[in-house]
Amino acid sequence: MPQPLLRVRASLDLTWHYAAGSHFTRFFEALRDDGLILALRCPACRRVYLPPRPVCGNCFRRMEEWVPVGPQGTLRAFTVVHFPFLDPTTGQPRPVPFGMGLIQLDGADTTLNHYLDETDLGRLELGLRVEAVLREPRQGDMGDIRLFRVLRP
Amino acid sequence: MKWRRRVAVIGTGQTEHTRKRDDVSQQELVREAARRALADAEMTPGDIDAVVLANMELFEGRALPELWCAEGAAGAGKPVLKIATGGTSGTSGAIAGALQVASGMFDTVLVVGFEKQSEGQTAAGMALTDPMWDRHVASAAIGNFALSISQYMAERGVTQEQAAKVAVKARRNAARNPYAHLQQPGLTVEQVLASSVLAWPIHMLEMCPTSDGACALVYAAEEVARRRCPRPAWVRAAATRHDHPYIGDLDRRLVTMRTLRDAAREAYAQAGVTEPLEQFDVAEIYEPVSYAELAWYEALGFCKEGEAGRLIEDGVTAMDGQLPVNPSGGVLSTNPIGASGVIRTAEAALQLHGKGGQRQVPGARLALVTGYGVYAWSDVLILSSDPG
Repeated sequence: MPQPLLRVRASLDLTWHYAAGSHFTRFFEALRDDGLILALRCPACRRVYLPPRPVCGNCFRRMEEWVPVGPQGTLRAFTVVHFPFLDPTTGQPRPVPFGMGLIQLDGADTTLNHYLDETDLGRLELGLRVEAVLREPRQGDMGDIRLFRVLRP
Repeated sequence: MKWRRRVAVIGTGQTEHTRKRDDVSQQELVREAARRALADAEMTPGDIDAVVLANMELFEGRALPELWCAEGAAGAGKPVLKIATGGTSGTSGAIAGALQVASGMFDTVLVVGFEKQSEGQTAAGMALTDPMWDRHVASAAIGNFALSISQYMAERGVTQEQAAKVAVKARRNAARNPYAHLQQPGLTVEQVLASSVLAWPIHMLEMCPTSDGACALVYAAEEVARRRCPRPAWVRAAATRHDHPYIGDLDRRLVTMRTLRDAAREAYAQAGVTEPLEQFDVAEIYEPVSYAELAWYEALGFCKEGEAGRLIEDGVTAMDGQLPVNPSGGVLSTNPIGASGVIRTAEAALQLHGKGGQRQVPGARLALVTGYGVYAWSDVLILSSDPG
């Protein structure tokens, strides 16, 4: 019986600081101060991008036309997650189950992946109307959109 | 893309893939695969001009894994290039190595990919994406895939039973591959659908495992290949496509799968493939989840849109079908991430070398390889017994 080989343990507790850039700075400030979700429109193809980014990847044109989108939108895809994934904002597994969706906010051409307030599969379907629920008080990061509430007629 | 000169795979080698290889270090794992590939090609470390390494170092939390190539992969004193593109790392590494030879830069290149998921924090590595946006809405590869699958099922009418059949096929094939991680020859559709739901509609038994393993292959320019290898596996095509930076940018990702469609179109044009289902003898495609394989059938032109479910039901892609897909058992059976795309390429070459053992497709001469990673990045390679 060979002797078991060693395993060496290593752990890290470090902090990083990332520059948000002018587009995310404006996006987060509008979200925090006015509760607005802002997207950028390409001057060439007119596609409205959320999250905002400085350049349209299809046209390589700089985008400067800010347009408010949402807060309501349409559910374009959904799942209910039962596997406890690591939540990067806490470093802990996220409590399960939780609903997730791809949401097309009114006025946007891209979709946004985000949490849903519904975990009952029988009550989820493509095309449902949803609305962003904001965090109070808001702090100026993506956490200011807590999740999306399914609107029932 | 213009190929300046011919290049072939002349040797392959891989480790036995499993959940945890704590009998070896990362460097020893790399060496195990590299040594086997060199032995298969009947070459010594001195015969290798340059090395390409595929690995997602963030998953192991250990920077600069290319350091393992010096003693592990004949890399000391030579050019070493690292490729780290998520799931496509291995196929992108395989493409990079092929292009290094095709360009005339080197005559022989050793490509090696590895991952030791048991040592790392793959979930944390996956979560360390864009800190402004994605980290707040992370649900890892499974959650993201599940979202796209809900669209794919709705538009194509694919059923959970059809998807489960993909997993059953994969594990049955894997049982004939001594290197595969999950070997479940008796797996049934009922068992797949009774296994726990990770993220609806994905069940545990139709998702890829987390594996430790490494795989290597040796490329040679035409003159070297003809001299050293009785049945070279010629690289006839290679294409790569990336896409926009956020998952929500991709319009109905699995339904349209434009990166794979575009890469396949370009590769088919390079190799003169017009009827993929008829012309390919074998395919090794990167299917991290059962539903992906069905979506890839459509994007790769094996069938019309909406007919992928019929293909799996009719056994068209089974070992004894018209086009065996993943005789190795695929990513669904073995997923050491950085190695997975190298495995696809090596397994395709193995088929053309006629060294497939129990998983050999008789008389295979034209093979398709794909890679998939991140938010729908796609690689396609085509290998052939015919130098063209």
